[in-house]
Amino acid sequence: MAKVGLYIYTGDGIGEALDIAALTNLAQKEGAAIVKTHDDLYSPAGIQMVKDDVEKEGVDRVVIAGASPRYEYKDFDFPGVYIEKTSLRELVVWSHPSDNGNNEHVQELAEDYIRMSMAKIKKVAMPVPEKMEAPSQKVLIVGGGIAGMSAALELAEAGFESTIVEKENELGSFAAKIRKQTPIGPDYTTLIDPIAPGLIAKINANSKITVKTGTELARIANVPGNYRASFKSAGVKSEWDAPIPLTPEEKFDANGKELSAEDQKKKYNAKNEGRQDYMQVDSNAEIFGAVVLASGWKPFVPAEGEYAHLAWGNPNVVTNHQFEDIAKKGKIVRADGKEAKSVAFVMSPGAKKDDFDFPYASAVTSISALKHAKYVREDYPQDGKSYIFYQHMRTPGKYEYFYKSLQNDEGMFLTKGAVTEVKDNGQGGLSVKVEDTLIGGDMTVDVDMVVLATGMIPTTKEEAVINFAYRQGPAFRDLELFQGYCDSNFICFPYETRRTGVYAAGGVRRAMTIEDEMEDGTGAALKAIQVLKAVEVGHAVHPRTWDYDWPDFYFQRCTQCKRCTEECPFGALDDDEKGTPKPNPARCRRCGTCMGACPERIIGFKDYNIDIVGSMIKNIEVPDDDEEKLRMVVFVCENDAYPALDIAASQGKSWSPLPRIIPVRCLGSVNVSWIKDAMSSGMDGVLLLGCKYGDDYQCHFAKGSELAGKRMDNVAESLKSLGVEKERVKLEQVSIDDYDKVSQIINDFVEEVVGMGPNPFKGF
Amino acid sequence: MQTQSIQPDLSFIRNVMQSGGDTVKRCYQCATCSVVCPLSTDESPFPRKEMLWTQWGLAGKVAGDVDVWLCHQCGDCTTYCPRDARPGDVLSAIRLNAIRYYAEPKFLADMFSSPMGVIGAVFLGIILVLAVAGVWAALVSHHAFPFPEETPIEFHNFMSVIPIDVLFLSTVVFVLYVLYNGVKNFWMDISAGANLPKSYSGTYPVPPIGTLVTGYIIPAVQEIIAHSRFKKCGQTADRATGHLYLVLSFIILFIVTNFVFIAEDLFHAALHIIGPVTPMPQWHPVKLAANIGGIMLIVGVFMIKGVRDRLTEKGTLKSSDQDWILIWLIFAVGATGLGSEIFRLTQVKQLAYPVYILHLACVWVLFLSLPFSKFGHLVYRSTAYVFEKWAADVKSGKAGFGLEKSVGSEH
Repeated sequence: MAKVGLYIYTGDGIGEALDIAALTNLAQKEGAAIVKTHDDLYSPAGIQMVKDDVEKEGVDRVVIAGASPRYEYKDFDFPGVYIEKTSLRELVVWSHPSDNGNNEHVQELAEDYIRMSMAKIKKVAMPVPEKMEAPSQKVLIVGGGIAGMSAALELAEAGFESTIVEKENELGSFAAKIRKQTPIGPDYTTLIDPIAPGLIAKINANSKITVKTGTELARIANVPGNYRASFKSAGVKSEWDAPIPLTPEEKFDANGKELSAEDQKKKYNAKNEGRQDYMQVDSNAEIFGAVVLASGWKPFVPAEGEYAHLAWGNPNVVTNHQFEDIAKKGKIVRADGKEAKSVAFVMSPGAKKDDFDFPYASAVTSISALKHAKYVREDYPQDGKSYIFYQHMRTPGKYEYFYKSLQNDEGMFLTKGAVTEVKDNGQGGLSVKVEDTLIGGDMTVDVDMVVLATGMIPTTKEEAVINFAYRQGPAFRDLELFQGYCDSNFICFPYETRRTGVYAAGGVRRAMTIEDEMEDGTGAALKAIQVLKAVEVGHAVHPRTWDYDWPDFYFQRCTQCKRCTEECPFGALDDDEKGTPKPNPARCRRCGTCMGACPERIIGFKDYNIDIVGSMIKNIEVPDDDEEKLRMVVFVCENDAYPALDIAASQGKSWSPLPRIIPVRCLGSVNVSWIKDAMSSGMDGVLLLGCKYGDDYQCHFAKGSELAGKRMDNVAESLKSLGVEKERVKLEQVSIDDYDKVSQIINDFVEEVVGMGPNPFKGF
Repeated sequence: MQTQSIQPDLSFIRNVMQSGGDTVKRCYQCATCSVVCPLSTDESPFPRKEMLWTQWGLAGKVAGDVDVWLCHQCGDCTTYCPRDARPGDVLSAIRLNAIRYYAEPKFLADMFSSPMGVIGAVFLGIILVLAVAGVWAALVSHHAFPFPEETPIEFHNFMSVIPIDVLFLSTVVFVLYVLYNGVKNFWMDISAGANLPKSYSGTYPVPPIGTLVTGYIIPAVQEIIAHSRFKKCGQTADRATGHLYLVLSFIILFIVTNFVFIAEDLFHAALHIIGPVTPMPQWHPVKLAANIGGIMLIVGVFMIKGVRDRLTEKGTLKSSDQDWILIWLIFAVGATGLGSEIFRLTQVKQLAYPVYILHLACVWVLFLSLPFSKFGHLVYRSTAYVFEKWAADVKSGKAGFGLEKSVGSEH
């Protein structure tokens, strides 16, 4: 039997604003064996007080009612003791100043948070980590370009073995096929010899690195720590090629009717003829612990007929990539052998549309244009002329030095401008018309050659590359949000992909210079090492690295509806023939999206499940007959929306005392049953505050808030059928810097609900 | 705006960069320079456009730009330039290139733009003076050469004014010819650059000589003597005083020289109408003026040098070889002039004649270099002053195509 100790922090104004004695009595009534207060709870003396109770009184469940749970006090971590933190400071006192000494509402708010935390603490169990025994310490690196080679070398330095699998017959990729490269360190004004050959030599001399050239990854199965990689010769078919699930469209017949499960299965089998089932184990597969995906990019080559106004198709109009090939062979010459002494570099193909670049253009295309312009000047120092016509010149960081050094060259001519026409000038060259230039007005320039600053297409745009043997298919999901770049939420989590244990580096993730690729390979290598450790000790990876828990399934009640397997943002769930989910804790990020998806409510965590949150809701006191005291529940995503509330409170913003806030791991984890619980316990409204979704999504679990949005549409339908206004349940998107708006969002919702009056089911 | 066909002239860019404008390519067109420039006008702001044209090697555009010459290298632009593109220095370099552009033959321009070339020219001058004097002594005067035996020292005994005139008048003719061509081409270029209206036959209006002098040259000269623009310079206003000393001394010496030329060379030596005028007694007003002019020249040079040293050190402006060549050449002229006078009066024969020879050589080089060196700014900047007034009147319909006759009296 758990023994609960509840400790109330009375500093920071809490003691003055609230009736602490009443809270103490309440906590005791709710079942806390020990209730104590301290005006400096987070000081050594306060910590010692709690510690004494743990050690001498046998307290094994602790509630700290005081500062926001977001403030981390590691001193309160006692082995085997569950710590629950509830915020009296930010969510109650700071955000709800006393209304002329009338503290009734604020006191009730504090009391409810005590009740809710007591309801939770009585139901939590200590997590038991799922540890993997002797996980593989070897890292698979897909792609042998600069990023891949850098990752391999860094891993070797750190003592880890790796295997580089490279499709081509040589390592080095594009970086090995260039004449010169932009500098990777000071001085930033001169081009240097390619560094790729040096890296290749280091790789070949390193006993910790295995290289497989001319090889592809047919499939990769299982989990971090124990990936099974099936290799094949590049470009051939293999029985171990990863099977591809039916697309949503393929699940329907020609008349738009959904195919039966049996027909779908047939169609799926036909589609994957000759391929082993995704759950089949390849006994010849090699075992790896983690993967660095450094499969790079492909040059964009415009199709025939594209960019007609830039004379694409004329033999003297080439892409930057083709120009590099020419430069690699020797002096810059044209297809007809004539020396190209004047070359125009066209950065933006949009003519007068000034916010228009070639697809996949980036800082790298700007820097490459500068480098290529320098080739011309180096080949023809006396009379070589390089023109760069740009709408955007992107030379981030120290590349600005390179840019400046080129500007100083007498033969470099740079101007912003709209290239409206390139045509044969009738004298064996090309005439380039540029409008709205810095020189004032329009100009024409005669040149020998035109180079288009085309972009770098990430390999994951058109191919799966990684070829997972996963229930959700071989490729990363939703990469269209990143134009095909292999990324998840790059602002917050560089290198992370939508598959735990696989870390993207280099051009596949973002267009990068060679210098950036080296750093990126290093970063991804470190992430790979982290995951190896994580699976060994059984904690989650970013963003819940402290979490040793994992979702538990009560399979007896599973109806094989497949919602969890389909909706898991990380593809953590596989399934069997019947469709019963097969959890893979090592792939799981503990966001709880499966829990939110499950209509049978059979998925949960030890300290975060349907029952715990449901009990918290039911323990909120709802006055039956007081129209002044309507009650709402606000489910707040703890990643961005909750911090926004904390910041708002610390900045003195206040909001209505009527709603009760329940932090959730992700809105994706909010199960519809909680909303039903809230409405049936007489709450007057439910608000969900989560991350922005859509193109620029900020959800830490990629899809959680978006899924919640879809689920709320269904909730609205069922509310309507009950005769309850659907506006009583609402989802709002909040980003972490919306702290100045979040209190207004809450107040607006409260006002709307108050306007609707009490929940018609109140009291039933 | 009309589409212009751009053909960058790399050699023009290179020349500007090599003659002190090496920073021109740094300019990123923020226009701070034109805003802070105390001399720039709203109608035609500079030096931003000149920076851009030079970056793009548009030599023709720069050649047609009178504003280049209305710049006095105050250095305010250079001081405030966020990119350290030093527009003041670049325009100075552009001017040097313009002088070279309008000067023929080019080898003289090359010679006068290098210190060794100038030193060589002075040696050439010495040889020339000795040759002419030697021939004169042997064939006409029969004085001992190179040190005449007569005392007191009279430079006539070394070489009379006639052979000097042979040497110098031929040089004057040559210099005037080169300058005439240069200024004529310059005038045409800036007329085109200023978009002056053309006549039906396609020529640019040219002021009649009388109007030119009374309506434009005299006001321009008045403005130059007043140094009113120079004094507006923010960073380098104190350069104006030294420069004014030099300008005044040149004017005084010009008048003195012409007085002597007419009285001595023409009326006495050539026509024998009057007796010898030189050497003049020290109390003679012309002699007094000459001595004052000589002293002002040297003082002015040192003032200018002092300011330039300070500003160069501070980074407000850069000083090219040409800047120093002109300063030291003028100093050499003044120093040797006064030196030969002092040694003559003190009867130090072994020094008086050599210093006099050196003086003649330096004067000759300074003279000859006028159309080819930085000294040419005397002509081109003055022309620019004149043109600016003329162009303003033409554009406002007060001059050109005979219009000035009706309104010319306003000047």
